[in-house]
Amino acid sequence: MNQSRGLSLLLVTPALIVVLALFVYPLFYSLVSAFTDRAGSFSLENFDKALELYLTDTIFTVVIIGVSTALIALVSIAIGGYLTLGENRRAVAMLAWLYRWPLFVPFIVAAQCMRTFLAKNGLMNNTFVSLGLMDVASTQSFLDWRGIIVTFVWKQAPFVTLMVAGAMASLDRSTIDAARNLGASRLRILLEIVVPQVRGTLMVGLILSFVTMMSVLSVPIMISGGSPTMMTVDMAYRINAHGDYGVANALGFISYLLTGAAAYFYLRQSVRERSA
Amino acid sequence: MRKLWLLSTALAALALAAPAEAQQRVTINVMTAGDQNMVDYITEFLGPQFEKQNPNIRVRAVGTGPGEAGSQKIWERLDAQKKANVAAWDVDVGVVHQTMAGQMVNEKLLDRYRGSIQSGSLVTRDTAKNALGSNVDGYVMPMFHSQTAIAYNPALVANPPKTFDELATWAKANPKKFGHNGIKGGMSGQAFVVGWIYANTPNSQQLMEGPYDAAAKNAWTPAFAKLKEFNQSAVITPGNAGTLDMLNRGEIAMGPVWVDMFYTWQAEGRLAPNMRLSVIGPGMPGQPMYYIIPEKAANRDAARQFVAFATSPAIQAEGIVKRFNWYPGIDAQHVQAHLDQQVWNKLFKDVSPQDLASKGKPLPMAQYFKEILEAYERQVAN
Repeated sequence: MNQSRGLSLLLVTPALIVVLALFVYPLFYSLVSAFTDRAGSFSLENFDKALELYLTDTIFTVVIIGVSTALIALVSIAIGGYLTLGENRRAVAMLAWLYRWPLFVPFIVAAQCMRTFLAKNGLMNNTFVSLGLMDVASTQSFLDWRGIIVTFVWKQAPFVTLMVAGAMASLDRSTIDAARNLGASRLRILLEIVVPQVRGTLMVGLILSFVTMMSVLSVPIMISGGSPTMMTVDMAYRINAHGDYGVANALGFISYLLTGAAAYFYLRQSVRERSA
Repeated sequence: MRKLWLLSTALAALALAAPAEAQQRVTINVMTAGDQNMVDYITEFLGPQFEKQNPNIRVRAVGTGPGEAGSQKIWERLDAQKKANVAAWDVDVGVVHQTMAGQMVNEKLLDRYRGSIQSGSLVTRDTAKNALGSNVDGYVMPMFHSQTAIAYNPALVANPPKTFDELATWAKANPKKFGHNGIKGGMSGQAFVVGWIYANTPNSQQLMEGPYDAAAKNAWTPAFAKLKEFNQSAVITPGNAGTLDMLNRGEIAMGPVWVDMFYTWQAEGRLAPNMRLSVIGPGMPGQPMYYIIPEKAANRDAARQFVAFATSPAIQAEGIVKRFNWYPGIDAQHVQAHLDQQVWNKLFKDVSPQDLASKGKPLPMAQYFKEILEAYERQVAN
């Protein structure tokens, strides 16, 4: 008993060391640096500066990611719902094949594509103009907050859909069939029978998306140059232009708090699932 | 037997290495800050050319990464070796930005070599003497000068503005037709903001040459208020490349760009050939990169030979101007003889040497520069 315990500790050590050295130590170090001024003593001046200059950006970040998360929920429920309840077999097969594609496209590539797709005289508007749906003078650029949201939703919705559609497929079909026999419409079945049963999975998918989007630098930096912008851009800027790790880490700390809140719900959800 | 061996070795040495002093082969380490194109310039062009002329010297190029951070790494290396009392430092030639060059001179890390190389007398521009407020006279040779300018689409703008004031009026009359990339998306936007401050504050000379005065920033408030208003009718583009892209797609008619990037894009067919450039008054900033030789470079003589070669008119013409579209580090008139008229005309078609001399400004002193960026965040972006 004792020996096997020693052995298992030994086996776990390398992984533990990696986690400590590459994750816990840098995390701790950046937290300390967030609360230290340039002279090296404890202070909140980094937070003062972060809030003074970047409060708008922080709010902007939360709003953008909040809206993106809500849209991702809608899109993934819609796609997942059609895959589960759709009656045209060919359409279902095609959708199932298509919706996963963005999963294999990295954020930076998606951002690069959107940059030429959503521009004022970009691919999308040019197509509309050449189809005669729009006039050249009335085109407008979507390379601002809207572009960021479009890219996030395009990139993350398939990920959540993958999870949600899986959960929907493994539901007990008899509840759906029973509702159908009683004459419920497909929309009603989706909203009142299917979604409540996959709520847990949907939550987890959305939380993971939220945390992922919080950390993306390439999309806001490539799509929108204007201000307000997202916190990741500010962090990169503090380091690249000012060598100011203090304020960058203070911003990092604020985003830890935001993702920490999301992680709390995630853990609560998974604990509940395990005990159920 | 022994005699014969000696004789044959001597003959072989004579045959292999023409100059008598060239028996010993040395390798010099050239460390360069900046993007990959800087390393490419040395490994693909400068190094091979130099080795052809100096068969006993090999050139090894090391890149330390883009931006000021790359220069910072070279400084860290020299600083560490100085503090450890190393007798021969392993960096023979460095290529650095202005801020770090000033700091290295102030900390006595550099060799004062300019007077001892032939091309040293070919550079008279003030950037060879003053780096953002630090006196670097004698310690540096400019490798090239890069310059920002306003790129414009002549199909949309017949008479481009000639000053920042005219630009402000133009932008008001043509809303959303001028684009710049702010301060977080790259240097061309930062340079535009600096140019705006030079144009709209009374103490611009002090910002470039010092002395540093912590109260100076108070005088910028009206200029930033004006810039905030200006931004209302401008477009903020995503990055240096974003400005060029939008210009090319006809979404904006004007925007600040780096001249070398502009020409490189045109040469690669990524930017319409009819686009033009103009450096507007009172002036727009640019910056050189410097060749430096550390105080205790292991191969000092070879390093000096290398820098002399790199800053010779023929190499500046072929490498810096023709291949990379930069402005020469040494004075342009020395380079002209080595260029065919067509290349010369292309480089100076829109921006004449006189324009460069009168409107090419340095960036502000490092401390002011940071304060300008931060004041922009506080007063314009928020």
